[in-house]
Amino acid sequence: MKPILQTSDLSIAFGGLKAVDSISLSAVPHEITTLIGPNGAGKTTLFNLISGALKPNSGKVYLDGKDVTRFGPAQLQQVGLARSFQITNLFFEMTVRENLRLAAQILEPVSHAFRPLRRTGRAAQKVDELIERFELQGKMHEQVGYLSHGEQRRLEIAMCLACEPKVLMLDEPTQGMSHADTDETEELIRSLTDTVSILLIEHDIGIVMSVSDHVIVMHQGQKIADGSPAEVRANPAVQAAYFGHG
Amino acid sequence: MHDRLDISMRANHVLFAVLMGVGLICVALAVAMDDMFYLRLGTEALILGGLALSVDILLGFGGLLSLGQALYFGIGAYVSALVLREVPSFWLAMGTATTASLIAGILGGLIANRVRGVYFALITFGMAQVVAKVVYNTRELGASDGLIGVPVLEIPLGIVTVSAGNPAGFFMLTLAVVIALYAAVAYMFTTPFGRVVIALKANEKRVPFLGYNTWAPRMVCYVVAAVVAGIAGALYPMLRGFVSPELMFFASSGNAVIMVVLGGVGTLIGALYGAVLLTFLKSIVGSYTEHHLIAIGVVFIGAILFMPKGVVGVVKPWLERRLTQSETSSASSGDRTSGENS
Repeated sequence: MKPILQTSDLSIAFGGLKAVDSISLSAVPHEITTLIGPNGAGKTTLFNLISGALKPNSGKVYLDGKDVTRFGPAQLQQVGLARSFQITNLFFEMTVRENLRLAAQILEPVSHAFRPLRRTGRAAQKVDELIERFELQGKMHEQVGYLSHGEQRRLEIAMCLACEPKVLMLDEPTQGMSHADTDETEELIRSLTDTVSILLIEHDIGIVMSVSDHVIVMHQGQKIADGSPAEVRANPAVQAAYFGHG
Repeated sequence: MHDRLDISMRANHVLFAVLMGVGLICVALAVAMDDMFYLRLGTEALILGGLALSVDILLGFGGLLSLGQALYFGIGAYVSALVLREVPSFWLAMGTATTASLIAGILGGLIANRVRGVYFALITFGMAQVVAKVVYNTRELGASDGLIGVPVLEIPLGIVTVSAGNPAGFFMLTLAVVIALYAAVAYMFTTPFGRVVIALKANEKRVPFLGYNTWAPRMVCYVVAAVVAGIAGALYPMLRGFVSPELMFFASSGNAVIMVVLGGVGTLIGALYGAVLLTFLKSIVGSYTEHHLIAIGVVFIGAILFMPKGVVGVVKPWLERRLTQSETSSASSGDRTSGENS
């Protein structure tokens, strides 16, 4: 199947440190591709390169076959790539619905920018749909700053979906969540693949093994393994990186 | 059920209506008692309120502290005065002053929007000082004396003609302009565009990841603020009959910031409350002592310590609760919401 997202030899160095060292990967439509690796392996840096937050020293990023290496975050968003953040990054003083509304209004044409906010139309519909899907009905008029951590993390995902992306990049979506919330989120992520392809960073090996279609292992900026969850688990290089012998 | 931001804007409108109501009662009293002084002072307060409104667009919504907003007020005032001395036409003066401040706003915005925070404050301050000094030293613009001899205007408004020399008439005209400015700006911040501006102030780093350009909304905000200041400035020579370089100096810009802080940052209407309070306070205290700036300073410090959200901030939370309650109780829309109260 033709990959929806592809990188070829993507690299960036900070001073002498090669944070991401010629990483090539591809994500297949409607699948979950998971990046794992020990702390400092370069996973979030790779995310920043793909999502336009950082510009690579070399290498290319392709979205749906199109070269998007030099695109900024806003441009990437408009061509269908959305990302969440490891540390919750929302508009804390605004309510849940205001946050979602802000994210969803990108669906409407720029010529609507100076029209009154509509109660109907694509953006409003999207907001209602997301509130329902993420079970935020009871919280929609609450300021995001007052939500629980788990709710904020879920809203973080909902915000990314508001623009109807092709590729969704989730940076540790279950970080800091309770067990119950984690299970729910896992369920949710899996249910998203009917509309988007997912690139995931995850530390919880249990989730990685159960949710991923494809796993990529990074260590010290390099890709050391690439395959199905079972293949990766059996890979000696991966075991060495995680357990530190060799 | 409306969003909090909409409720907040409606609370501003209520406070706006209150101010207008009180204002009109005062005008009626002044006319009845044949007062000239307070009517003209009130008109000046409204004009300066326009400048303060412009500061609040940037400070309260854009999150940008401008210390040179008087630049655009001054450009509006000078252009208006120059036009009026040649052709005494209200509409021509307003039109050219608007255009001039629009162009100046675009130029200034291109420079100032390259930076944020303290640097933005310093650049806006610098730009205003440079232009003010140029005007101060240009003989054709009256140099340090300013431009005098702006004729008393007859302003045809369709069915009636208002004379700028008629205090009550010109007050009402100024009021109408300020209402229009307030309404336009308030509307702008309730549109999708306005939401992006508000989001930029709250969390600038996240906005591009929602697909929005961050430069353009700021630029539009800056230019709108410049035009608002310019339009307010255009009224100034009609009221006073002259303009002087002091209009562009830091004292004017600084006063406008004080007005906004005193009235309540980010409320739009606070700018007008602040302008009225500060203008009248100055005049009243000034009639007892020439050291009125000391009193103003004390009031300002007190306001910051005890009313950090300004005069408007004292009643606004209560007003918002009332508006939310009245809406929840009369809610017949299909929204499902648990009865929250914030």
